[in-house]
Amino acid sequence: MYLYLYDSFLNQKKYNNQLARIETRLTDLGINGKISRLSPLRNIQELLADELRNGVKTVVVVGNDKTLNEVINIAAKFDVIFGLIPVGGENHIASSLGIPIGEEACNIISGRIIKKLDLGKINNTYFLSDIKIAGDQVTIECEDHYKIMPQASQSEISICNFKPALAGSFNQNGYFNPQDGLLEIFIQPIVSGMSKFFKKPIMAQSIIPIRKIAIDSKQSVSVITDGQKVLKTPVKIEIVPKKLKLIVGKSREF
Amino acid sequence: MFKNQDEIREIETIIGPSVQVEGDFIAAGDMVIEGTVSGKITTEKNLRIGPGAKIFASISAANASIAGEVQGNIKVKENLEIAETARIFGDVKTGTISIAQGATLNGRCQAGDDKKSKFEKIDHHSKPTEKEAPITEELEEVVDEQLN
Repeated sequence: MYLYLYDSFLNQKKYNNQLARIETRLTDLGINGKISRLSPLRNIQELLADELRNGVKTVVVVGNDKTLNEVINIAAKFDVIFGLIPVGGENHIASSLGIPIGEEACNIISGRIIKKLDLGKINNTYFLSDIKIAGDQVTIECEDHYKIMPQASQSEISICNFKPALAGSFNQNGYFNPQDGLLEIFIQPIVSGMSKFFKKPIMAQSIIPIRKIAIDSKQSVSVITDGQKVLKTPVKIEIVPKKLKLIVGKSREF
Repeated sequence: MFKNQDEIREIETIIGPSVQVEGDFIAAGDMVIEGTVSGKITTEKNLRIGPGAKIFASISAANASIAGEVQGNIKVKENLEIAETARIFGDVKTGTISIAQGATLNGRCQAGDDKKSKFEKIDHHSKPTEKEAPITEELEEVVDEQLN
């Protein structure tokens, strides 16, 4: 039995046609189910608990990265299979999972390639894709053994479960696999102007596979999880292996 | 080791030139260091230290290729390659070693097995002992008499 969770932004009129096509396709494939619309006033945890009690086996999130991120934090507590139908903008996680946008994603749900994926955990918040740190003078303590300190005046620091957009060819080398039980610290100095074209980009980057880290800084800096939620340093981050059962596409990046 | 694109696929940890690491830096896979590391570096696989890297640490690896500056002792199980740009200040212990012309190496260097071979042992036993010395003198006297 399927439960479809629609994000509140899908109430906008411009999505009506797209949602109608998705619903038709789901009926054609024989995987239609109950539809629940999320809203700030609705408690997702209670909703999910009730529906699971009623026999729901698969929960499909219809929305974007933000919707998935919201649901994942609650979903991690339940033993249920999750799916995603990406609609609208900001769907980077969906592309990493090999799920096309709109009604074509229904075929992926129907295909049911289920993978157990690792989740990152920052303090008490789960994240699926990555964490970005918006600051320079941070100290990253890894596995309680060593400290990493970026020295460039401006660096982009990411803690990744999935491949970040700036990683280039790094994904070929077995990095950024959400099934390997590791997170990757990815540090890239921000280059500007003409030096962007002359410097060797790959050798300037740092990448360190890790299971557990703590991030601290002299002044409190912002830490953004999956491009949505903002936390402040100090934070503790760890990987929770095979925490989430998710339906993925054949063209996934791992 | 670290010579073509296929081998780069095995790389697991990369420390870029803009990063500093402090402490016991331990990795199970290959390591490439282009930045600064102080403390201790340990890997069960291959280690490459780039020409711009500065290492203030003791190093332990299966194979190593060094092109940067290292201040600390180096222990390599198999092969150590020291490039012409390398500057090493510390003792080196390795299975095999290759040092390029122009490299700096200040410290004791032990390459290869430290156990003596069988031939060395046989030669050692075949040397005349103190008890055997008088016999040779007697023989010399007999020979002199016969000649006279």
